[in-house]
Formats: sequence, structure tokens, C-alpha cells
Amino acid sequence: MSPTVSQIKCLNCVSLVDHKCLVEKTVKLSNYKPGQRGKIVEICGDPDFRLRLMEMGFIRGTEIQVVKYAPLNDPMEFVVKGYHITLRKKQAAHILMDEPELAA
Amino acid sequence: MKKKITVALAGNPNAGKTTIFNALTGARQHVGNWPGVTVEKKEGTLKHNGREIHIVDLPGTYSLTAFSLEEIIARNFIVDSAPDLVVNVVDASNLERNLYLSVQLMEMGCKLVLAFNMIDVARGRGIAIDEAHFSNLIGVPIIPTNGKKGAGLESLLEAIVSEVDKPQPSEDLTRLTYGSEVEDELLKIQNLLLQSGFSSEGINTRWVSAKLIEGDTEIVKKIGSLEHRPKILEQVAKSRSHLTNIFGDSPEIVLADARYGFISGAIKQTVQIERTDRVNLSESIDKILTNRLLGPLILLLVLYCVYIFTFNGSAPLVKYFDSFFSWLGDIVSKILPEGLLKSLIVSGMIKGVGGVLGFTPLIAFMFFAIAILEDTGYMARIAFMLDRVLRGFGLHGASMLALMVAGGIAGGCAVPGIMATRTMKEPKERLVTILVAPLMNCGAKLPVYALLIGAFFPGDRASIMFLLTIISWIMVLLAGRAIRSTVLSGPSAPFVLELPPYRVPTFQGLVIHTWERTWMYLKKAGTVILAVSILIWVLMTFPGPSPEQKAFFEEKQDKLTSNFLNDPAVGLVLKNQQDLKSFEDLQSAEGKDSLQIAAPLASKYTQYKEDKLRLENDEQSLKLKNTVAGRIGTYLVWVFKPIGFDWKTNVALLGGFAAKEVVVSTLGTAYSMGSVEREQYPSLSEQLKHEPGWNPLMAFTLIMFVMLYAPCVVTLVVIKRETGKWRWMLFAMVYTTVLAYFVAFIVKTTGTLLGIGLT
Repeated sequence: MSPTVSQIKCLNCVSLVDHKCLVEKTVKLSNYKPGQRGKIVEICGDPDFRLRLMEMGFIRGTEIQVVKYAPLNDPMEFVVKGYHITLRKKQAAHILMDEPELAA
Repeated sequence: MKKKITVALAGNPNAGKTTIFNALTGARQHVGNWPGVTVEKKEGTLKHNGREIHIVDLPGTYSLTAFSLEEIIARNFIVDSAPDLVVNVVDASNLERNLYLSVQLMEMGCKLVLAFNMIDVARGRGIAIDEAHFSNLIGVPIIPTNGKKGAGLESLLEAIVSEVDKPQPSEDLTRLTYGSEVEDELLKIQNLLLQSGFSSEGINTRWVSAKLIEGDTEIVKKIGSLEHRPKILEQVAKSRSHLTNIFGDSPEIVLADARYGFISGAIKQTVQIERTDRVNLSESIDKILTNRLLGPLILLLVLYCVYIFTFNGSAPLVKYFDSFFSWLGDIVSKILPEGLLKSLIVSGMIKGVGGVLGFTPLIAFMFFAIAILEDTGYMARIAFMLDRVLRGFGLHGASMLALMVAGGIAGGCAVPGIMATRTMKEPKERLVTILVAPLMNCGAKLPVYALLIGAFFPGDRASIMFLLTIISWIMVLLAGRAIRSTVLSGPSAPFVLELPPYRVPTFQGLVIHTWERTWMYLKKAGTVILAVSILIWVLMTFPGPSPEQKAFFEEKQDKLTSNFLNDPAVGLVLKNQQDLKSFEDLQSAEGKDSLQIAAPLASKYTQYKEDKLRLENDEQSLKLKNTVAGRIGTYLVWVFKPIGFDWKTNVALLGGFAAKEVVVSTLGTAYSMGSVEREQYPSLSEQLKHEPGWNPLMAFTLIMFVMLYAPCVVTLVVIKRETGKWRWMLFAMVYTTVLAYFVAFIVKTTGTLLGIGLT
């Protein structure tokens, strides 16, 4: 089951027009399993947070692969643009992805 | 041709910037602080073909927005100090993200050289870069380097010099365009800026316009004095809302998108990635080190090893240092005549400073261990594994670094720890981290622990230290939780942390790291501690005893002696004072009980000696009690009665308020002055073992109190500066002391009731 748009709170999002999380079917990054990968459709949240993520390479269309969850199941580790980064699940839930596929 | 060239070194964290800096400047480094702030500023110089090149290492940043203090520092240095050139160290194996910073540097309009560092790693991963083509596309020279091996550094220096010697281009050569919509708005703002005469300040107006459109608050401050300021800001607001309407997103996001577009365009044309199936070594290591089950176990093991290394490894050196200072004390004692000056130098200065400096090897070993953790990349894994735990206590994964630096692995310092919280964006978590960081086992508390552990738990140094670390963590977490759910309640902050690939650290880098931090410790010990030692000595020496007191004790002493001599059993052998004197000299010369003396005389003499000792002890105590420090300490006995500290300990704790390591030096001073038995016990820990009232429980109670009570003055000053509020400083002072009192009381009471550690 992949969560749909309506389940995602987007209260702080500045993007109003043409906001893809309102039209496309997406999966929260936090619902990806280790070894799965997919492309970023949209990043929600307040502009500061989104900009910080963009500076770290989280851009629409970028491929993300989930490497693992921390020993206590949170935070998560990803590979983005060839380097490793961690986010808490709660933040990863702000990143909306396309359907995941299993990494080779 | 400029003789002296200033170069700023910029780059992402983990891009190998420090390695390049170290390789370029070697030992010719100077570490200080950026003006007005407490972020470390490293500078170094080198000579190249007769030109002096001065290198300033900017803080590692991912970007140049006003997101963190590091970014503002890096940016302001480039704008305000106008270095001749910026070298941007880029991790060649991670080009896309690293180039985001490069693009921003290009926008700023400064002369730029890119060092594609760790080129070997990139090539190893099958990344082939056409540097010449790349350089043409973006209009900036690119030099492939390998900082660790020193490869490419010569060409880098050549490129620096030749770029600096080129004339500044008259027109803007930016290759990056944002698309006509954004460019139109940029131009409008740029024209307004030019009308205001902004270009005269030597800052690239296009960059300023872009920053204004991004809603950068720091830049708005920069144009504060401009004549047309309201008009400019009005245009900025108009442009922002215009762009938001067109793109359906805030302008800063649109611009960031465009920068990445520019980067990926350039990369597509010049970089070839052969997908290799080769297993990434770093990832394989991580499979074990951050494994769900093994990870936490290995973490504990690593932390334990750090102690073993620090304490056992440094032990011989610590001993050597200790004996050096007692040798120095002996020498000076022999040279100087009896009196105040001797007391000042031996008791005040040598004992005080020596007590702290003696631990230098231990501190250095600890810093070396921390440097290994940082430089290998394991520190970030610690944060990764522990974030879930820390968050539960109102802290943050990034608190980990601050807490580690503050003494999470015993031996840090709360001051840099509190400064390290500046990387934390969220004010609440940051404040909590600042408030609890002083509870950690900083390097200054270590001498106190080492002294007491050495005296009362000599067999289990490492395990007691390990226990203390666990306790301080528990205290930090509980305090964090308590503060976060009362004084500072609210939602928690984002956690964005890079996990750099594991690397073998360079020996040079480790040594430089260790040396810098140890040197800071030494500087503090050499200045603050010396001053505090002398101050404490003064407080503990003046006012001296009153004439009545002196007379009283002299009279008592005389009476004791005459009583002894008048005893029939004694009178037969020792007729007068002269006889007694020579008898005593003989006794001490030959060592105790070496003379065969008649049994009655022997017992009488022993009795007499004991009485005399008690009397002298009383006199010394009374003398010290009469001083300023003694009076304060005596008064505090009433307060500390439930945890059983004597007034000497109280005086030491007062001294520790200036700096924690002073507790040791003050105890040293207090006991070397207050006890006549000092000849008998060469070191303070030996002496404490034989003081009445001291037992393992007492020592542990004191350790707990020292761990938790009010942060030192320097830390308090930093807390005030970092939080901007006196009330947080006061809060930090009061809550820690209350906590310390409470915990010490529990330890003391429980121990006494259960009869643990009383002998």
C-alpha cells in the first residue's frame, strides 16, 4: 500500500501552483525499505528545510537509494548523488518519491 | 605583481579541505578565532617561487546561504576581506553536490581555482573527468589533487599564482544564467543597486541581487546604509512575489534548482561514469559497524578502548611529568629560604600549576583518540546510531558532536562543546544541549578524577572512568529530558547529517589536531590556572594567625615538652631541651625506631610525638581556618554537612568554580599547607589516603559533586554569549549545583547505609 497525496500534510509548503504532491501519486521516502530506490517527485516543508535539503543534493528528479535504518529503526541512511546522508524518518516523510524499485 | 597573496580555502565538510591545508602549510599554522565569534580560524603561510602565500582556511560549508554561522563567516570573509583568490576544494568523487558551493563562489565574482580533490578515489570508482573541457565550460581553472599523497599541489600553487597575476575581468563572466524571468528581475534590482553607488563597495552586484531575491536576511543588513534602501527592498518584494507566482515556488528554491541544472549540464558533457560492480569498501565496513546488533556493541567497545588507550597509554608519561614537578618543588624548596616567598612558589605556583600540567599527556592521548574518531569518519556513525536515543531525551543527533566535544568521551571541554552547538539550527535543541553539555566529563575534571581514583580505586582506573562516563551520560540525558519538558517544551528539529566514507587518517593530520587542542589546554593551564593558584594561595595565607593564637600554641608546646622531660622515665636519659633535640635529630637521621631505647622511654616518646603532632595539626588547621578561604570553607561546612565535605574540600570546590582542574591544585595547596605530615607522603593522592574522614565513599561522593556542580567561569561566560541571556547562565549555574548536591547526598547516604566504601 502506498500512501497517497491526501495523507500528506503540506501546511508549511510555499508551493501553491502546480504542486506535484497534489496531483501525482507519490510514496513517502520514509516508507521505502532498505535496498529500494526511486526518484524525488517533490519536497514539502518550510522553505528553510527544503533549501537545506536541496543544498545537500535532494533535488526533484534525483535518485535516492535507501541503504539502511539505524539500529533503533531511526534515522535512515540514503545514497544521494553518490554520497551517504542520514535523515530522520519524520523528515524523510516530507520527501515524496515515485514508486520504489529494487536496487540492482 | 603582488608579493604577498591571500588565498581563502573553501569547501564542503569531508571534501579533504583540512588535508590540503595541512599539506600546503605543514607546521606553519596559526589557530585563532574569527573576530567576534568563537569558530576556529586557521591560517598558514608558505613560499612559492619567492611569493608569500597566506592561506586562510574557511569553515567547511555545503553552501553560502545564511543558514549557519559557518556559512556567514565564510561568505563575509570573501566579501569583506577580499582575498586575492579562493581555492575551492571539491570532492571529485562527489562532484554534483560539491559543485553547488563552487557555483555560488563563481556567482560572488571572486577569482577562483577548483581543486578536484581525492581524484584517486573518483578514478577508482570509475569516474572519468575531462578536466580541461570542464574548466572551459565553467570558466574556472581546475586542478586534480590528492591531498593525502600531496599530488597536484605544485600545479595548484602554479594555478593560484597565475590566476592572481591575471587582471580582474572588467565585465561579469558568469556562465550561469537563471532563465529570462529571473534574469529580468535580477537586472531591475542590480540597476537600483548601481544607482545607489553600491558597486563602490567592491561586491558583485549580481550576486547581491540574487541573494536579495532569495530573501537572504544577512544581505539585507549589508545594504542597510544605502540611500535607496526602501526602494530596493520594495523592488525585491515585488520580484519575489512575481517569481513565486510564475514558478509556483519560492525564489530561493527556483535559484537552487537552476544552479543544480547548470552543474548537471556541465557534468553530463565532461564526466563519464562506468558503472562498476566493485564493492565499495566503505559500505562494506558500514555493514558491520552500523549493523543493527553489532553496531551498538562495537560502539561501546570503541568507547571503552578510547579509555584504555588514554589512561593506560598515558600512564608512564603522567608519572614522568608528576615526578618532574615534585623534583622541581624539591629543588626550589632547598634553594629558597623558609618564608612567604618559598610558600608562594612551592605551594602556590609549582603545586598548583604542576598538578594540572602533570595531566597533559593524558589530555593529549585523549585528543589523539578523538582525532582518530573524527578523521576516520566514525564520529558521524556514532551520531547516526544514537540519534534515536538522544531525541528521546529532548536532544538531537547533532548534539552528539557537541556533547562528545564537551566530554562525552571523557577529556573534552564544555567551551568548544557549547560552541559546536552553533551548527544546530533549531534553537530549542541547541539551548538544551548548551545547558547540559557542562555535565559532561571535561578534561578539567579528569585530573580530579585521576587524583581520587588513583588514591582510592587504584586497581580499577579504567572501569571507574568508564562508569563515570556512563553516569555523566545518564545525567545529561535526564537533565535534557527534564529541561526539554519543562522550561523548553516544543517540537523537535530536523537532522541532516552526512556519513562520510571511512578514511585512513593521515598521521600529520592527527598530530596537528592533537597538538592544537592540547596547546589550548596548556595555554589555559599556564595562564588562568597560574593566576587562580596564586589567588587561592593568597586567600589561604592571609590573614595570618593573630599574636594571641601564636602565643597560645607556643605556650601549649612548651608545656607539652616540659611535661615530657619532667617524666621520671624520660628524665633519666634526657635532661633538658638540648638532649631532646639531639635525640630527635638522631631518630630522624637513622629512621624510625632504629635506636634501641628502653621500653618505657620508647612508649613515652611515641606518646609525646603523637601529642606534638596533634598539636601542630591543630595549629595549622586553625591558621588556615583563620584565612579568608578558610572562613568561607568553614561557613560552607554547615551547608555541606549532609554530604560530609570538610572545609578544605569546600575551599577546593570554590577554587574549582574558576576552573575545574583547580580543585586538584587547591586540594594540593590546602593539604600541603594544612598538614605537618607532608614530608611523609610525597604525592597528594598518597596524602589523602591517610587523612581522617577520607575513604572510597567520600572520594566517590566528591567525584559526583565535581562532575555535576556549577560550570567553570569560562563556560558560564560562553553560555551567556551563546544564549544571549543572563538568565540562562544563572539557570545553568543553579540547576547544576542543585543537581550535584542532590546526587552527592544520595551517594553518600546510600553508601553509608549500606556500608559500602567506608574503609
